[in-house]
Amino acid sequence: MNCYLCDQGMSTQVSWRSIFFNELQEVVCLRCRAGFEPAVPGCPICSAPGEGKCADCCEWETTEYAGLIDAGKSLYRYNTAMKEYLHQYKFLKDIVLSQVFAADLREALYKQQTMIVPIPMNGNKLKERTFPQVDRLLDSAALPYTHLLEKKEIGLGGKSKSDRMALQDIFWWNGHPVPEKVLLFDDLYTTGSTMRLAAQVLKDQGVKEIKILSLIRA
Amino acid sequence: MKEIEEFLTGRMWLRNFTPFPKEQLDDAILTGKVRVSPGIIDGKQCARCLEKSSQKIVPFFCAACQSVCHYCRHCIKMGRISSCTELITWAFPSTITPQSHSFFWNGSLTPMQERASQEVQQSLSQDKDHLVYAVCGAGKTELLFPAIYGALKKGLRVCIAAPRTDVVLELSPRLRAVFPSTTIHSLYGNSPEQSGFAPLVIATTHQLYRFKDAFDVMIVDEVDAFPYSYDPALRRAVSKAKKEMAPIIYVSATPSNQLLKQVPNSSQLFRRFHGFPLPVPQFRSLWGYEKDFSKGKIPAKLIDWVDDKINKEQPFLVFFPTIELIEKAIGLFKQRHPAIEAVHSKDADRKEKVMKLRQGQIPGVLTSTILERGITIPNVQVAVVGADQPIFDAAALIQISGRSGRAVDYPSGEVVFFHNGIVWQMDKAIKLIRSYNKGARG
Repeated sequence: MNCYLCDQGMSTQVSWRSIFFNELQEVVCLRCRAGFEPAVPGCPICSAPGEGKCADCCEWETTEYAGLIDAGKSLYRYNTAMKEYLHQYKFLKDIVLSQVFAADLREALYKQQTMIVPIPMNGNKLKERTFPQVDRLLDSAALPYTHLLEKKEIGLGGKSKSDRMALQDIFWWNGHPVPEKVLLFDDLYTTGSTMRLAAQVLKDQGVKEIKILSLIRA
Repeated sequence: MKEIEEFLTGRMWLRNFTPFPKEQLDDAILTGKVRVSPGIIDGKQCARCLEKSSQKIVPFFCAACQSVCHYCRHCIKMGRISSCTELITWAFPSTITPQSHSFFWNGSLTPMQERASQEVQQSLSQDKDHLVYAVCGAGKTELLFPAIYGALKKGLRVCIAAPRTDVVLELSPRLRAVFPSTTIHSLYGNSPEQSGFAPLVIATTHQLYRFKDAFDVMIVDEVDAFPYSYDPALRRAVSKAKKEMAPIIYVSATPSNQLLKQVPNSSQLFRRFHGFPLPVPQFRSLWGYEKDFSKGKIPAKLIDWVDDKINKEQPFLVFFPTIELIEKAIGLFKQRHPAIEAVHSKDADRKEKVMKLRQGQIPGVLTSTILERGITIPNVQVAVVGADQPIFDAAALIQISGRSGRAVDYPSGEVVFFHNGIVWQMDKAIKLIRSYNKGARG
């Protein structure tokens, strides 16, 4: 088959991925794969580089959203290769690219005992994009998830962090029973507003422990 | 409405990607001026690029129409086509008034160019395909000027398609200078929006996906070049973009046997416009060059060659088989001369770097096959590292050799094939070059 990203032919590759997660086929070539930069352990919430909690997450601790998120991590950094990937996946709507990080997500989450809750899209956005990009990442990794939230018909994109911090009620609970522990999952962590606004709603419904996972830390 | 007509005549465009106000477009559709057609035909073929393999036409559950749609991965970079997206095209016969054209060219054709030029015009007048089989530097573009002018004057729409953006960028300013009163559009990936109706379109073959039944004359430059030579979808695009009976003029320095058989009408130009023979490549062994680069050193023979060009202040191009090897090599070359640059297909500054080389601001450029054709740098000296690698087939090696000795002031130039063992394609290239030179004398 050809690489999903550069369309060059690839030989069947044997790697630890193919041995341990043999149900997940490698869909990008070694060269394209090497372009992505894994996030090394850093901030215990968002994996921003550096020792201990990053400045952004510390700032959140001075707001009303303090203490909402118990722990978290991101799998990759936002670099040129990732920018191009997101462009092709989300903007060009190349849905098969949901498979590119399936093995990483599966490895990160398959032992997870808590309920995985994806950050939802609103109806208009979903119609426009034609597929729920966060859900599809989990589908490709064959991970079960449950939607507990719904989202208002406005987006966060293009708003400054202070604007975002001021946004209330962008998410609401959809009425499903909530468990004690939840893992919130999103594709891209930028300012951390989305995760905290979503976590707030779940905490209000009685969730005790909230962890987060993002594919990418911008 | 005039803008819509000018824009959509001969084009196939995504309905939700047009530059026009929605109401205006809806009105044009309602009155039948603009025709709407589905993006995916019969559930499995892309109507724009005509792709139909199951690897590229992919099913998914579509949240927009709440059912299973297919989308095309092949031409996705031009905006995704799926079963529930719509393509639009101008449905009425064109009411666009023909432009008047002027032809402004000081040059003159050599007798051989003149003969070829006449032959092309003759084929066109009979609506027959034609092959211009001409060595690099024969002056292929110039000999097409009279044929293009003739077609434009008759009110015909002409397309010059080339497989690569670099060639489109090279051709465009030359044609704009020669046809100053003609609206000319240059289309390539991320090209700026150009308004009005263009009787002359210079486009990458990829951009032809967006045309249908548009052109009366189709010129395909560098038909042997990747990706056109490799991708059947691009060949389909060429025949879809032209009107059914419109003739194709193929232009090539290294046509395939298939093309030679397929197009009976052809003109051969084995002499460069300045009359000098093509430089014949030299073979030089460069054993284990990959190992050397991996160990962080440039093979000694290559250093000698490059140092020689730097000392003589001759611009040089060194071709490499892979981007990986270029990336390993460029740091090492920069240690020898900090101004040496590297270019490859993913390099956004490619144009500027080639310009710097042409203007003598930098001594040389390391390159992938991306610069194998279309570029002219006076007095350039050429080396190929790994000429035995499969990416350098005879056609590519001939093109690369054709970079040197193009200018009349520097008609000879050095071409060296550094190799790890001589392969058949290298032999074939040198034999063909010698046969062209013989033909040129005869």
